[in-house]
Amino acid sequence: MPVWLREHSWRQTLTAVYLSLPLRGARATPANIFCSERYLKVSVPPFLFEAILYAPIDDANSTAKIGNGNIFFTLCKKEPAMWDSLTLANAGKEELQYLRENAVLKVQEKAKEEIEAKKITKQEHKKYALEATMKLEEAERKRIEDLKEKERQKVAKELEFWKNQQKDADKYENLQKKGELHQETEPLNERKNEKMNKTRIPNEGTSKIRLKSTKGHGSCSIFSQNLKEEQLPAPRAAATIKVNFTPRVFPTALRESRVAEEEEWLHKQAEARRIINSDLSELEDLKEEEKNPDWLKDKGNKMFATGNYLGAVNAYNLAVRLNNKLPLLYLNRAACHLKLRNLHKAIEDSSKALELLTPPVPDNENARVKAHVRRGTAFCQLELYAEGLQDYEAALKIDPKNKNIEKDAEKIRHLIQETMPSS
Amino acid sequence: AAGPERPQVVSHVQQALSYTVFDCKWVPRSARLLCLGSAARGTGLIQLYELHGARLELLREIEKPKPIKCGTFGATSLQQRYLATGDFDGNLNIWNLEAPEKPVYSVKGHKEIINSIDGVGGLGIGEGAPEIVTGSRDGTVKVWDPRQNDTPVANMEPVQGESKRDCWTVAFGNAYNQEERVVCAGYDNGDIKLFDLKTMSLRWETNIKNGVCSVEFDRKDINMNKLVATSLEGKFHVFDMRTQHPTKGFASVSEKAQKSTIWQVRHLPQNRDIFMTSGGSGSLHLWKYEYPAQRSKKDSEGSEMGVAGSVCLLQNVTLSTQPISSLDWSPDKKGLCVCGAFDQTVRVLIVTKLNKI
Repeated sequence: MPVWLREHSWRQTLTAVYLSLPLRGARATPANIFCSERYLKVSVPPFLFEAILYAPIDDANSTAKIGNGNIFFTLCKKEPAMWDSLTLANAGKEELQYLRENAVLKVQEKAKEEIEAKKITKQEHKKYALEATMKLEEAERKRIEDLKEKERQKVAKELEFWKNQQKDADKYENLQKKGELHQETEPLNERKNEKMNKTRIPNEGTSKIRLKSTKGHGSCSIFSQNLKEEQLPAPRAAATIKVNFTPRVFPTALRESRVAEEEEWLHKQAEARRIINSDLSELEDLKEEEKNPDWLKDKGNKMFATGNYLGAVNAYNLAVRLNNKLPLLYLNRAACHLKLRNLHKAIEDSSKALELLTPPVPDNENARVKAHVRRGTAFCQLELYAEGLQDYEAALKIDPKNKNIEKDAEKIRHLIQETMPSS
Repeated sequence: AAGPERPQVVSHVQQALSYTVFDCKWVPRSARLLCLGSAARGTGLIQLYELHGARLELLREIEKPKPIKCGTFGATSLQQRYLATGDFDGNLNIWNLEAPEKPVYSVKGHKEIINSIDGVGGLGIGEGAPEIVTGSRDGTVKVWDPRQNDTPVANMEPVQGESKRDCWTVAFGNAYNQEERVVCAGYDNGDIKLFDLKTMSLRWETNIKNGVCSVEFDRKDINMNKLVATSLEGKFHVFDMRTQHPTKGFASVSEKAQKSTIWQVRHLPQNRDIFMTSGGSGSLHLWKYEYPAQRSKKDSEGSEMGVAGSVCLLQNVTLSTQPISSLDWSPDKKGLCVCGAFDQTVRVLIVTKLNKI
C-alpha cells in the first residue's frame, strides 16, 4: 500500500505552475516521474503522489528539479489562465482511471515518436559522414593522379628533347662523313693513329666523338675496317665442352611445387612394376586365365562350396599375390580359415578385408557384416569373448535386422556373464 | 625511399600488334625499337618502330619464313648495327636492316628452336672478338663467331647417351679483356652452368630447384660481379660472382617475388645494381641490390667464400594480364625501356627518379 504524499505546496502565474513536493528523505530519479498533459505522478516507493491537473500543460517544456529532499516542478500551462486549484477536485474513480490510462498511452506514443525521430537524424548523420569521407578520398585520388600526370608529361618532354638531340647528332654525322671524304690526301699514318686513338675512347664519350670515328662511306673506310680487324683477336679455336645434367625423369620443366606429386607418381609406378616383375618369373608356367585374380576367386569359391578348403585357400593366395587390393579375396579366405580352424589367420584376413573396405558405404555393407561376423566367430572360438562381442555388435550396427547375429550376440553376452563372477 | 620519392614506372606508349611478340630490343644510339615475333600464319616478323612523341611509328616490316624467337645487337659494331636472330627452326641469322632480303650470316645452328641469344664484343662495349651464343631446346649451347661460317667456336652439348634438357637462357659475362669470357646457361630442370671459354671447361654449376627462365650478368664487360637467375614459381636468385668457393660455389640471395613465373631479368645499363624482373602475371618489379658490409669471408678451412647482400623492391606495377615475356632497357636514355607481352602489345615505359637512388 503506497503512502500518499499530500504535503505539496504550489503557486501559479498566468503561464506556469510551480509545484513543490517534499520527499521525506526518499531519493528520486527522473525515472520516478511520470508526466503527461493532464496527469502527473511521482512514484518513489513507498511514496506515491498523483495529480489530475486542472488544465492541460505543455509537458515537453515543463521541467522538474530534484534536490534537497524536494522535487520542484515548473509546469508550463497550455492556456494562460489562472487555475482554481492544482487538481480537479471532483474527479470520479472511473474518470481518474480513464485519465490515467490515457496519460500512459500518450506518453508511450510520445516516446515512440521520439525514438523514430532520433533514428532518422542518426541515419542522416551517417549519410553525411559517408559523403564527406567519399569526397575526401576522391580528392586524395585525384591528387595522386595529377602527380602521376605531371610526371608523365615531364618525362615525355624529356624524351622528345633527347630524341631531337639524336636527330641532330645524326645530321652532324652525315655532315662529318661528307667533310672527311675530302680529307683523303692526309698522310696515312696520321690517319691510322687518329683512328686508333679514337676507337679506344671509352664509351662514356658524347655521341659526337663517336661519330668522328664512324666511317660508313668513302675510301677511308677500307683502312678503318682493316685496322679494326687487326685489333680483334682471331676466332677462337673450336672446342666442345661435354655437359652432364641433373637427372630428371619427366620431360617437363622442374617446379618445386610439383615435386611431391611427381615423387608419388614415380613411387606408384615403381610399385606396380615391382609386382608385375616379381610374379613374372614364377608364374610363367601358369595358363592365361590363372593369372586373373577374379577367375581365381571364382575357383576358390567353388572349392569352398565343395568343401575343399585347402584348395580354396591356395586359390585365394595366388589371387592375392596378383592383386592385393581386393577385399573379397581376404574375406573369403577368412571363411576358409575358420572352417580349417586357423583362427588367427582368420582374424588377420578379416581385419585386412575390413581395412580395404573403407570408406564404409552402403555398397559394401554386406561384405563388412560378413567380415565382422567371421572375425567375431574366430575371437569367440579363441575364447576372447569380449573382442568377439565387439565385432558382433559392430555387425549388428551395420545390419540391425539380422536375427542370427542378434542371437549369437546374446549367447556371447551370456557366456561373458557366466565367466565374470569367477574372475 | 618513401612514397613520392620512389621511382615510378610510367607507361608512355602502348602499341597493339597483330602477331605474337617474343622479343623487343632498342636499336642502339637511336629512338627506334625492334619487335620480333611470329605472325598467325607461322612466319617470322621483324618490325622497326620509331618513337614519335606519344606514339610509335612503324618504319619497316620484314617477314621471314620462320617465326623468330630472340634477337640481339650485342655482337655488332655501332656503325653496322646488324641484328642477330634465332628462330623456331634453329637458324641463327645476322641481318643488315637496311638490306634485309639476304642475311649477312646464316647457319642452321641447332636442331630445335633457339630459345635465347646473346652477343658480346660489339657496340663498343668490352673487348675481344664479337661472339654470339645461342641456347636451344636441343640441349646444346653454341658460341658463334660471325667471321667463321658453319661451325661454332664452342659447343656445350650433353654427354653421349645423356638425355637432353631444354636450354632456356644464355648470357655472356666476364669479358673484361681479350681472352676472358664466360657463358652462363640456364636449363629447364633448374640447372645453371657457367662455362669458361678461355679454358673451355665447366667452371661452376648448380641447381635452383625450378626451371631457369632468364640469366643475366649485371655487366658483360667487367670482371664478373653479379649474376641474376630467374625461374618458375616466382623466384629469382642473385649470385655474388666475385668469390668462388671450391665446393660451395658462389654465394646467393634469393627472393620470391610473385606467384607466377619470372620471365625476364634486365639490369639497368646505367646502374648495375638496379634490375627489373617481368612476371607471368603481367607485372614488372624494380629491384635494387645492396652489397653486404664485407663481400667475402673465410670459412672454417680458410678458403674464401662470398657473402651475398640483400635485395629490396623499389617499385612494382601490373601492366597486363598476360606474361611480359621480353624486356629491354634503352642504352642511351636512362629509365627508358620497352616490354613485350603475350597480349600482343608492346609498351614503352619510363622509370622516373632513377637518379635519386
